[in-house]
Amino acid sequence: MHTKSPEGFSSSSDVLSHLTRERLAELESRPRTPARIFCDYIICLTPVIFGLLAMAEYLYVPNLKGNNSTNTYTYFLLVLILIAGAFFITSIFSRKVFYVLRYKAPFYAFVFVLLALYDYLTLKTGRLVLPYFTWTDQILNAMWQDRAYLLDCTYNSLKLLFSGYFTGALLGLITGIACGCSKTADYWISPFMKLLGAIPSPTWIPIVMVIAATLFSGAVFIIALGVWYSLTIATMTGIRNIDRSFYDAAKTLGASRLQLIFNVAVPFAVPNILQGLTQGMSSACMALITAEMVGVESGLGWYVSWQKSWAQYGKMYAAIVILCIVFIIVNRGLNLIKRRLLRWQEGMI
Amino acid sequence: MNILELNHVHKSFAKIEGEDVTQALSDITFTVQDGEFLSIVGPSGCGKSTIMRLIAGLIFPTAGTLTLNGEIITSPNTERGMVFQKPTLFPWLTVKQNLDFTARMKGYTHKKDYESESERLLELAGLKDFRDDFPHQLSGGMAQRLALIRTMINNPKVFLLDEPLGALDAFTRMNMQDEILKLWQRSNHIVLMVTHDIDEALYLGTRIIVMAPRPGRIREDLKNNMPYPRVRTSDEFLQMRKQVLEMLNFGQNIN
Repeated sequence: MHTKSPEGFSSSSDVLSHLTRERLAELESRPRTPARIFCDYIICLTPVIFGLLAMAEYLYVPNLKGNNSTNTYTYFLLVLILIAGAFFITSIFSRKVFYVLRYKAPFYAFVFVLLALYDYLTLKTGRLVLPYFTWTDQILNAMWQDRAYLLDCTYNSLKLLFSGYFTGALLGLITGIACGCSKTADYWISPFMKLLGAIPSPTWIPIVMVIAATLFSGAVFIIALGVWYSLTIATMTGIRNIDRSFYDAAKTLGASRLQLIFNVAVPFAVPNILQGLTQGMSSACMALITAEMVGVESGLGWYVSWQKSWAQYGKMYAAIVILCIVFIIVNRGLNLIKRRLLRWQEGMI
Repeated sequence: MNILELNHVHKSFAKIEGEDVTQALSDITFTVQDGEFLSIVGPSGCGKSTIMRLIAGLIFPTAGTLTLNGEIITSPNTERGMVFQKPTLFPWLTVKQNLDFTARMKGYTHKKDYESESERLLELAGLKDFRDDFPHQLSGGMAQRLALIRTMINNPKVFLLDEPLGALDAFTRMNMQDEILKLWQRSNHIVLMVTHDIDEALYLGTRIIVMAPRPGRIREDLKNNMPYPRVRTSDEFLQMRKQVLEMLNFGQNIN
């Protein structure tokens, strides 16, 4: 985005030569009229407004006969509204927070609309019928009641997920680099890759559950398999796409064959590898749930199918919500790593 | 004293499809030694870059030998540094890290000497303020300067320049020519430079090899004894320019 010119960095102590990114954007954007500023702040406030509306809907629209509700959902909404309010207040003082909030606020407001709408369709009118759909208040209560058990399940799921994920990722990286850099390795490994890649990992469950020493190791294998596959393909593609001239340059600069692999080929393939890691994570999550529903006797996926079989839909949704939150956090973490590693690409495209 | 010798070098390439083999270079023989700046000019497809890649050790001759100080060239080595037409900087490394690539490959032996040298070169190339920038943030001229000093830091006995200024605008180009000249005069090692630009060849080289295409061969090996700094508009310069131009046109007509 911003390019520096040698002139701009001459000894002149001009203020303009030392701008921050925000200040630069501000200087170059059109002047904001008071009406525009007012409008922006109103938009920043929308999550709070819609949050209050959602709360009013919950408290003042009468329930369908027979449905009862507690105050848990009220407190839940209150916490969300307080967070939105806190952000709004900081946005008045901090430009950075203001820009983020101005961008995100409409979506957060929409989330409150969705919450209110769901509440209206279940608790208030019963359009979405029991027992399959329960209102948010019940889900929250179920989550709270079963918290110790759910926490344990979350821990077990994460343990399984990451055991499988890291095993698969590490092996995938190794085979990917081997196949990308060596024709011999490619000759011997590629045919098996093509064969294994065509089979969806849940297909393996019955066989693996028989062969594997423990259910845990079997599940790890199934999760690792999908990750291994996507990472091998991604790493291989990344390495094969490299411009030959990078190798030539590195060779004339004294790189040995091994150094060519680890100092040129692998760094060049990092964007692909990260893509493979993201893709592998989604396949790992899917495999995790499948494995838990079929064999392993703990974890969130198992909890979901167990509660479903007892028609405890409130508890089932509670686990699903936690699953979603866990996956969002894991993906966030992955994106953070991605941004850190791909710093050199910033503003390139 | 370093001596680079090419002895009846032939090079052929197999075509991507079919059984055909094209002859890229035919019977190239010349000797260069320390203090010489050899410009190689010729129309495209006459194998200029192939000569560079052969000397660098990136490819091998079909017949004939290349030797540096009597030793046959078998693989790339930092004693034969090469700058390519594109800067070929590693996009994931910062300016400083690109410059230190060789040092990293060698495990940073003599770290102290290396550091002071790399600082000096950054200063020289006007890249000091950009040491932590990434290559895509540099202008074309800055990128090529970095490519030059990245090779220079190894203090190569033979400096191979494969049209390094081809993609630059006229002003940057003329500045860079002077910089290359200064570098060569300081080290006094062997420089071989491939170019399309006759002015550039005459402005820089102590010797000019004019090549003819299909198959690539040496048409003429000229001495250029004009004293430095050379004036592009002097009679002597223009006279020589005319001579080379006629040679190149003639070279095309007989084919």
